[in-house]
Amino acid sequence: MASETVSVPFDVYRYLPGKDAAPRYQRYTLELTPHTPVLTGLLRIRDEVDPTLGLRYSCRSAICGSCAMQINQKSRLACETQVGPELARHGRIVVEPMRNQPVLRDLVVDQTPFWREYAKVEPHLKLDPRRPMPAGKPTPMTPAEVERFRETPRCIACAACYSACPAAEADPEFPGPMALAKLYRFAVDPRDTAHQERLLRIQPNGLWLCLRCHLCTEACPKDVRPSERIRDLKEMAIAAQGATELGSRHAVGFKRNLREGGTLNEMKLVRQTYGVLGMLPQLPHGLKIWRKKPEVARKPHPIEGLDDLQKIYDALDPEAKR
Amino acid sequence: MKLAYYPGCVAKESGREVDLATRYVCRTLGIELVDFPKFSCCGSGFIDEANEVLNVAINARNIAIAEAAGLDLLTVCSTCQGMLTLAQLRMRDAAVRSKVDATLRPLGIDYRGTAKVTHLLRVLVEGVGLDAVRAKVRRPLAGMKVGAFYGCHLLRPADELGWESGEEPHAFEDLLSALGAEPVFYRGRVLCCGFPVQFVKGETAGRIAGRQILDAKDHGAEAMATPCPLCHISLDAYQGPAAKQVGRPLDMPVFHLPQLVGLAFGATPEELGLARHLVPTDAVVAKVPPAAR
Repeated sequence: MASETVSVPFDVYRYLPGKDAAPRYQRYTLELTPHTPVLTGLLRIRDEVDPTLGLRYSCRSAICGSCAMQINQKSRLACETQVGPELARHGRIVVEPMRNQPVLRDLVVDQTPFWREYAKVEPHLKLDPRRPMPAGKPTPMTPAEVERFRETPRCIACAACYSACPAAEADPEFPGPMALAKLYRFAVDPRDTAHQERLLRIQPNGLWLCLRCHLCTEACPKDVRPSERIRDLKEMAIAAQGATELGSRHAVGFKRNLREGGTLNEMKLVRQTYGVLGMLPQLPHGLKIWRKKPEVARKPHPIEGLDDLQKIYDALDPEAKR
Repeated sequence: MKLAYYPGCVAKESGREVDLATRYVCRTLGIELVDFPKFSCCGSGFIDEANEVLNVAINARNIAIAEAAGLDLLTVCSTCQGMLTLAQLRMRDAAVRSKVDATLRPLGIDYRGTAKVTHLLRVLVEGVGLDAVRAKVRRPLAGMKVGAFYGCHLLRPADELGWESGEEPHAFEDLLSALGAEPVFYRGRVLCCGFPVQFVKGETAGRIAGRQILDAKDHGAEAMATPCPLCHISLDAYQGPAAKQVGRPLDMPVFHLPQLVGLAFGATPEELGLARHLVPTDAVVAKVPPAAR
């Protein structure tokens, strides 16, 4: 049964750098059924109303990953986002290009930064030439091994995660969620022989800039859950080479800090992360905070039942005792 | 209503204004808070990065403490809320469960997974209900334009721990309206405050916090409010460095969620610890008409 059509206002970002002085939003109103994909609406605008509208798309089936854009400020595939729910929540459909990548024209962005980070993680199996895979024979894997990369190979490289990422927005040093999820995928592949080498390279290359805000996991159309795999990578990287960066020193310091009293000792954590000398640049602003919140410099009372907490540590993380 | 009160580290120490305000609000609403000196810190997401199973066990212990008393938990921090809820979810995985149980049981700690863990925001909106909240308002925050700032771990991953949309929530704005304030909607309200990289790269953390504050300001907010004391550290205690990063003065007063509720219930600034903020709140509080006698 065909549904009734409704009037759907699209506010579409229009910008041709070098020609337009500034971006503008153009209103197009279409009669569409609520289950119509946003992409279908945009193609109708391009084909029937305004042939100059620039957009990128291909399969229309959420497989190719070409049509990622911002729909009412969420990074989404236009082909699988229906107009009805968006209209219900926002009363209109605001369509903008993906974030964190320069606009080429209207909804089309230059994906060079995204692909550069992807290439850097060497997203291919690295095999040991001395131990070739037996020709014509599958490599056996245990169910547990398969489980570890159940999600990551589903990635279609649409860059929705990169667009949604506030770390990528604020700091070009962060490789972005997709590149790291891809790295994880090879770092747990039992056929790959470069696990250690891969893990040794990520700590100094922006791993710890992940904010664990999980916006990538919200945006991902394939449920790759990049933020959760980045968490895994952090633990794996510490196991592979110890805490070499401020981020890992902070995480390991926090862990040890808590073992001592059960409540965070804030001042001590600063020292555990930066070292005594490294604390000095923090001092001027630290003093401003201390004037209002003197507790930052105070050792908190240990919790009751600290013995139990320490026994949990001894069983699950004996290293934290140091 | 009687709840096991899990304040988290910040509310116990450098952010004790959260604790003051929470107790004021709960007292006013007749919510009985039970303290447990045995509660430890939730690990704040950092222990999770270093050792996931340890993090689950630490929080399973916290939850079991409340369960032994037959109580649900109340959190006042988005990060505590996220960590405790994630521990409950991870404990549904048989392998994790058996490892953690094997550690906790010999200590006489029995994790059952029956207690609910709920943030104050949700307790106010759903447990108490906005009508009951409205009934206690003695000093409506008339016309105060407030940008809610949720804190990631209250919302995401939404399929695992959210009760609201991970990207388009509205509970906080609904609460602000019930207090008489005018909620300001801006993109940054669901983004990160920068706190997790404060120690990794202060400039990046400042840039992130600064952008969200500017976004709220550019949408007309004269104050912000957050249910997360860690976001408060980024948005208030580190607002100075954030302003340097974005190259514009910010001067944005940032309230803890229970402080704004307390203010609307008629509490004095002293009762809410407002003087403990780095960015003064006096001017915006002074604009609120005094409580009706």
